[in-house]
Amino acid sequence: MIAVRALAKQFVQGSGRSRRVVQAVQAVDLLAADGCITGLLGPNGAGKTTTLRMIAGLVVPDAGSIHVKGIDVAARPQAAQAHLGVLSDARGLYPRLSARENIVYYGRLHGLSRDAAEARATLLGEMLEMRPLLDRRTEGFSQGERMKTALARALVHDPSHIILDEPTNGLDVLATRSLRDALRRLRDEQRKCIIFSSHIMQEVERLCDRVVVMSGGRSVAEGSVPELLARTGHDDFEACFVQLAFGGGVA
Amino acid sequence: MVATWSAALHAAWQVFRKELIDALRDRRTLLVVLLSSVALGPLLLVGLSLVVADSEARADARELYAQGLDQAPTLRNYIERQGWALLDAPPDHEAALLSRSLGHAVLLVPADFEQELALGLAPRLELVSAAANQRAERSAAAVLRLLQGFSQEQSTLRLVMRGVSPSLLQPLHVDEHDLADPRARAAQFTRMLPFFVLMAVLYGALFAALDSTAGERERGSLEPLLMAPVARGALVLGKWGAVACMGMGVAVLSCFSFLPGQWLLRSETLAAMFQFGPREALLFLALLLPLAALLAALLMAVAIRCRSFKEAQANTTVVVLGVSLLPMVTIFNQGGEQGWHLWTPALAQITLMQRVLGGEALGLSDLALPLAVALAGSVICLVYVARQLRAAALK
Repeated sequence: MIAVRALAKQFVQGSGRSRRVVQAVQAVDLLAADGCITGLLGPNGAGKTTTLRMIAGLVVPDAGSIHVKGIDVAARPQAAQAHLGVLSDARGLYPRLSARENIVYYGRLHGLSRDAAEARATLLGEMLEMRPLLDRRTEGFSQGERMKTALARALVHDPSHIILDEPTNGLDVLATRSLRDALRRLRDEQRKCIIFSSHIMQEVERLCDRVVVMSGGRSVAEGSVPELLARTGHDDFEACFVQLAFGGGVA
Repeated sequence: MVATWSAALHAAWQVFRKELIDALRDRRTLLVVLLSSVALGPLLLVGLSLVVADSEARADARELYAQGLDQAPTLRNYIERQGWALLDAPPDHEAALLSRSLGHAVLLVPADFEQELALGLAPRLELVSAAANQRAERSAAAVLRLLQGFSQEQSTLRLVMRGVSPSLLQPLHVDEHDLADPRARAAQFTRMLPFFVLMAVLYGALFAALDSTAGERERGSLEPLLMAPVARGALVLGKWGAVACMGMGVAVLSCFSFLPGQWLLRSETLAAMFQFGPREALLFLALLLPLAALLAALLMAVAIRCRSFKEAQANTTVVVLGVSLLPMVTIFNQGGEQGWHLWTPALAQITLMQRVLGGEALGLSDLALPLAVALAGSVICLVYVARQLRAAALK
């Protein structure tokens, strides 16, 4: 379970006269349960990526608390990171290493033995349908192939909590579908706690059990898709989202 | 506590292995660096030995290009007695001297030379050379000495005929005594060698340093890396180890390439003077390895602030420029070696390597001071990189 309370973060951009304070996240509350895919839905600039980076221990929050599996991220970031598998916005791979070597490298950094990391790479290669790719160098991989490799790399240590930041960006229909299937399997078969951020309604509607709507650095609504539809009185999830995100919160 | 340390070391080792494999797989860059560093020693030596052999051959040749010498039998006789070979100057010698295709000064003897000499009228000779033609200038100096010898012989003969002692004309004798031993003289030729070795080490570390910092940022692989449960210090330590290893590898290869390189020496004098054995190679390494570690850390510290490989290349030019300009101090420096030279990285190594080539002994303190400076500098740079790492991943 991932529990986020009253999270806030501001950044200072520039210096001197051009100095500007940006309030990236102001008040975000979020509860992601195990065996459940929680969607983080919001327009561009809503603070989704910053929130996820704070959960992943990459950005230190100004205020609020984050607990991953009961571990306080601020106090023990590395212990929390050990339980997290993060597919971030940046999905860079090492082009001179094969997909397998990329995955095994992260496994070793997570403290797995070489054999265990190799075995996990093979298993994930099966699960993500990327077996033929494993022993090719990642130079020249397509977007979909890169995403699969990055996802396998994030899952190599079999984390109980998975964070995906706009994972379908740049993917075609087939790749999106195969990712969706993989996530469902992870939820149903292994009861992972998955947080999935997106700005695409249909994706969230199809995949997520719970949705947290973010706007202007705040979490403005939370519930399942039918609950949110009922709350706003819309049939269409897009209209529902626009009302929640831009037309005043229905908390 | 012990578990944390061993986990950090394990992670640093993983990062080190991966970075080293990654760097070694960059075949094209590696090939260029290796070729330039391994081939560098022998090539430089061969080039130097050709230059020295050429000047030795010229010094031995004693050839005089002249016009109208047939009308001056006395002078001709003197020159031949000194063992010089006489050659006819080509008619277009002025153009040849200007275009440097002729490397000898040309002596022009007027038709009435012998007559005027006999009358004691101090005839005029013309020695044609060009200041921009260095080889001709050197031969002009030799010909001038030859002509002074003739002049002196003539005046001595005239004085003797008049019953005056020749020593009146030569109130003093000068005996030249060169204190420099042959190795110190060779060091004049080999001054530039340490500089090239130093640059090879710098370039050996450069690409790995850029790739593991700015390259990692540009690819977008730094952010995922920082999400692994590994202390930032361990990540930096592993990366630095790999980059320093690349620089050190080049240092080892280029130092030891001088050993077989010596077999190719053409000039016997240079071969006798340039003594570079295993002892010298090890001393070079003792100086270069700490410097490779420092340069690796410094390049990483400069590159971590850059968003792309290209930006980092532009920024590290400052480091490259600094390392290539510092040795100039030893060339332009008129006051000899100063105390601060040994405190300045790169300059210290160049100075001490030149001492090794000059056959001087190095004390323990000579090695310890640059080592301490390199260690302290590396630590400062690495702490800086570790602090910058998180900010770098997010921008």
